[in-house]
Amino acid sequence: MREQHSSPPVIVIGAGIVGTATAAFLAMAGTPVRLLDASAPASGATGAADGAVSVASKRPGPMMTMARAGAALYRELAGQGLFQGLFHKRPTFLVAASDAEADVLSDHSKALGEVGAPVRWLTRDGAADRLPSLTRKVVAVLEVEDEGHAIGYSIVSRLISAARLKVERYCPVASLEYEGRSGRVSGVRVGGAVIEASAVVVAAGGGAGRLIGLPDVSRPRRGQQLVTERAPGLNAALPGSLLSCSYLLSKKHEGEKADARGYGVVIDPLETGQFLIGSTREEGRTIPENDIEAVAHLAASAQEMVPALGQLRILRCFAGIRTATCDGLPMIGRMPGTENLFVAAGFEGDGICLGPLTGRIMADLVRGEEPEMDVSPFDPGRFATGSIAA
Amino acid sequence: MTAVRTFFWQGIEVPFRAGESVAAALSGANIHGFGKDNAGSQTRYFCGIGACQCCLVRVDGRTTEACLEPVHAGMIVTALEDGDA
Amino acid sequence: MREADIIVVGGGPAGVSAAVEAAKSGLSVVLCEQRPALGGAIHRQPAEGAAPVAALPSLARRWQSLSAKLSASRVEVRTRRAFVGIDSTGAVLIDDRAAGKVEVRRPRALILACGAVERVRPRPGWHLPGVAAAGGLQVMLKEGRVPEGRVLLAGSGPLLLALAAQMTAAGNPPVAVVEEGDPVSRPLAATRLLTHPFILPDMAVLMMPVLLRRFLWRRGTRLTEITQSADMLSARLRAPDGREERFEVDRIGLHDGLRANDFGLTADPPSGLVILRAGDLREVLGAHAAEADGAEAGREAAARLEGRPSCGSRSAMRRHRALQHRLSRIFAPAQGATVLRDCPDETVICRCEGRTIGHLKEQLAGPDAVSARELRLNGRFGMGACQGRFCSEWALSLMSELRRSAGVPASPPDFAETGVCRWPLRPVALSSLANAGIYDDTRTERHIEGISA
Ligand SMILES: Cc1cc2nc3c(=O)[nH]c(=O)nc-3n(C[C@H](O)[C@H](O)[C@H](O)COP(=O)(O)OP(=O)(O)OC[C@H]3O[C@@H](n4cnc5c(N)ncnc54)[C@H](O)[C@@H]3O)c2cc1C
Ligand SMILES: Cc1cc2nc3c(=O)[nH]c(=O)nc-3n(C[C@H](O)[C@H](O)[C@H](O)COP(=O)(O)OP(=O)(O)OC[C@H]3O[C@@H](n4cnc5c(N)ncnc54)[C@H](O)[C@@H]3O)c2cc1C
Ligand code: FES
Repeated sequence: MREQHSSPPVIVIGAGIVGTATAAFLAMAGTPVRLLDASAPASGATGAADGAVSVASKRPGPMMTMARAGAALYRELAGQGLFQGLFHKRPTFLVAASDAEADVLSDHSKALGEVGAPVRWLTRDGAADRLPSLTRKVVAVLEVEDEGHAIGYSIVSRLISAARLKVERYCPVASLEYEGRSGRVSGVRVGGAVIEASAVVVAAGGGAGRLIGLPDVSRPRRGQQLVTERAPGLNAALPGSLLSCSYLLSKKHEGEKADARGYGVVIDPLETGQFLIGSTREEGRTIPENDIEAVAHLAASAQEMVPALGQLRILRCFAGIRTATCDGLPMIGRMPGTENLFVAAGFEGDGICLGPLTGRIMADLVRGEEPEMDVSPFDPGRFATGSIAA
Repeated sequence: MTAVRTFFWQGIEVPFRAGESVAAALSGANIHGFGKDNAGSQTRYFCGIGACQCCLVRVDGRTTEACLEPVHAGMIVTALEDGDA
Repeated sequence: MREADIIVVGGGPAGVSAAVEAAKSGLSVVLCEQRPALGGAIHRQPAEGAAPVAALPSLARRWQSLSAKLSASRVEVRTRRAFVGIDSTGAVLIDDRAAGKVEVRRPRALILACGAVERVRPRPGWHLPGVAAAGGLQVMLKEGRVPEGRVLLAGSGPLLLALAAQMTAAGNPPVAVVEEGDPVSRPLAATRLLTHPFILPDMAVLMMPVLLRRFLWRRGTRLTEITQSADMLSARLRAPDGREERFEVDRIGLHDGLRANDFGLTADPPSGLVILRAGDLREVLGAHAAEADGAEAGREAAARLEGRPSCGSRSAMRRHRALQHRLSRIFAPAQGATVLRDCPDETVICRCEGRTIGHLKEQLAGPDAVSARELRLNGRFGMGACQGRFCSEWALSLMSELRRSAGVPASPPDFAETGVCRWPLRPVALSSLANAGIYDDTRTERHIEGISA
């Protein structure tokens, strides 16, 4: 096919799940696009995440609403073939180990009910039946249906091949180029060269803030995780992921202290028969590395929740860096004052779930079409206008 | 005056020499395939130094390398495929 | 309880001599070995009642002398302790398998002497039961289990002949040694070995069974395929003139050289901890070099901890390196380097995850130029239990072969790019991690007696 457009392509900065989905949906809609990454696809948070496509773990409010839509899109794309074999539908089990946690869970279940998530309480016997490997020392278990799991890097790889994208690797964008005072960006600067763009989407995860001139709106939050060897029998006995209520709590206390470290345990049965055990929330940590204190803590908590895990061997530990904004909501939308500059970043621990949906919304916004859902709660303008102190 | 010592492989009694590995003892009994691992590959002795992970067996419930694990009298050794921990 | 000043990992010649030398300074030294006994690859001790396998002449008695020095030293030896990594805070992690816990230790210096691992190139059928690494068969032999039945050894390097000589002495010579190189056709290179007189008696021992025709020595010949028929293995060989030949055997030992066992170790360690590498883990130079190198590392560690200028030039290694270069030239493949991409697509590269050459080609088929890390993640090469020790090298070299043939000018992808520098270096039981604790001597009996006294 010959290049028909005389105008330059749209440039998407960042080949994580958000940027790749944006570029893929643009390309599939026929908009010429270039996808640039400072390193390689899924080299940021996307390649070091768990893959909960989950409403159960979200905070009530716009995030929970968007997560419902995000999970629905995964189901739709799995059905249509694009995510076939990559998205695995299954429930999430929220586990309360104390009366205090059960109270938190009870409030949470109401919020989930309000967005229409199908939830049900398991009785003690019901839990023992459905989750035979779970410790008996639980106070309450809430099952949330319509959830699922997808591996971030696999989704990215699938989107790249489906849209036949050629990712421009090792291409760090130093800055955006503005067109005089016209209120438009004209391109991006990489090394000594400027690449022209008809529009720019900044989906650069932790690198986004600096590019859009808001370096202080987000901060890094590290997560350490473990992967076990394969254990098909034990894996098959766990019909969905287990989420301790301490996870909800760790998400809630969004780091009052600069170096706070939270543990919220998730046990995820993977398709390979392995288990993924996550994860810490460590404020201000930018280097994806593991320390024994955190790993031992996660291992002990996982073993407490599912004692049989103790006998499995850990093959790998790894860490990823989430990007959290100061109000806990992502930035999704057009930058105020710059008509062809868009941003989608700050997804903290929810970007796998929200990535494909965000990509589709961004593609619509860039193409001047009405997006499928209202993203005004995520308007990046809230930071730019100074209405929220960063 | 070395009494014959034995351990159990898949429920069968197998003799061994003090100080040898599970893999060496199994080899002495002419047992070379240790069943399938959890990825479906045949397990067997390969590198002998704990590096290749081809020789995994279950010893008293734990997954371990047959080539590194010293064998003891009465030890219960099974193939991985006999089920998870 | 005071933490040891120096922890040495690996109880082969390098580790033992490092520990002995370091302890001479009066610093406290702990030696950790994953196996139940010391000795390493070369001085592995036989099981009770088994006949010891004669060491090469140049190595005879070296071990007695080293172990005597060790017994006389104040080194604390801890067996069945596997080093599993250094965490981001500089803690040294030791898996105490017998106790079921990971010891978290904070020495001032760490000497790594974990030896080498064998390279075994993927060939059709290499993953079949009955096929082992030749060194693996040697380990078995040293433990007192002579490989039985008809055995074929194939690949390249002096280890094949060493094993063949040991098997011959133990009463079951291999049916053939299939050597890709052709040492005899390189007389000039061979005479250069005369400049290393200490290995001459070793060479005599290696060559004796060849000269006595105790087994066939097929030189310049490549094993191209292994198939299984009934309970036999069938090996297909290709001679330099292209002629093919088949051997029906019970067992096959493969060996394509050695490489340092330094997987997963980071180049830049956390600050504060002095880390030295010694022996084959630093550079594969053989047993004599390993012992000398270990001793130097031990002295260097002590010197650095005591703030003395360190002598560590490791200059003695130059001679050993020259020897290894000569040997590798003599054993260079006669039919040129192998091309992995010519192997059938079903050939397994990553045994742990069951990934083949065909799977790898699929990953690289699209228009997008994937990186080594993406190949690893999406293709699952090196994601299994061996953590890439046996397959990463081949997956990466096949990747560059394919790129080169597609005309993509790519810098050779390396291990660092695949993101595998992390701990645990070995799979560790989750319960042992859950029990991880600061190493605490009060748990050892000796100390408890001390308290009650
Ligand atoms: C431990 C952990 C567990 C998680 N678990 C889940 C989960 O279960 N469910 C869920 O939904 N989410 C989860 N997440 C969150 C999820 O991974 C992220 O929200 C999501 O991956 C963010 O995607 P992204 O595309 O915005 O950013 P990233 O994946 O970080 O991608 C940003 C990309 O931009 C590139 N870049 C940066 N700066 C520049 C520049 N100047 N020029 C060019 N390129 C640049 C980077 O190289 C990178 O590839 C988890 C995260 C972590 C760390
Ligand atoms: C299978 C094999 C056969 C060989 N045969 C010969 C031969 O015939 N002739 C020859 O000259 N050279 C041979 N070599 C080379 C030989 O390795 C060196 O000559 C010499 O033994 C190197 O000494 P080293 O101390 O560096 O390592 P090694 O002798 O290999 O000792 C390393 C020690 O470290 C231990 N170890 C490894 N990882 C860990 C860990 N994570 N935690 C705790 N302990 C660990 C091992 O169990 C081993 O005891 C062989 C090597 C191998 C692998
Ligand atoms: S044979 Fe390789 S790990 Fe045991």
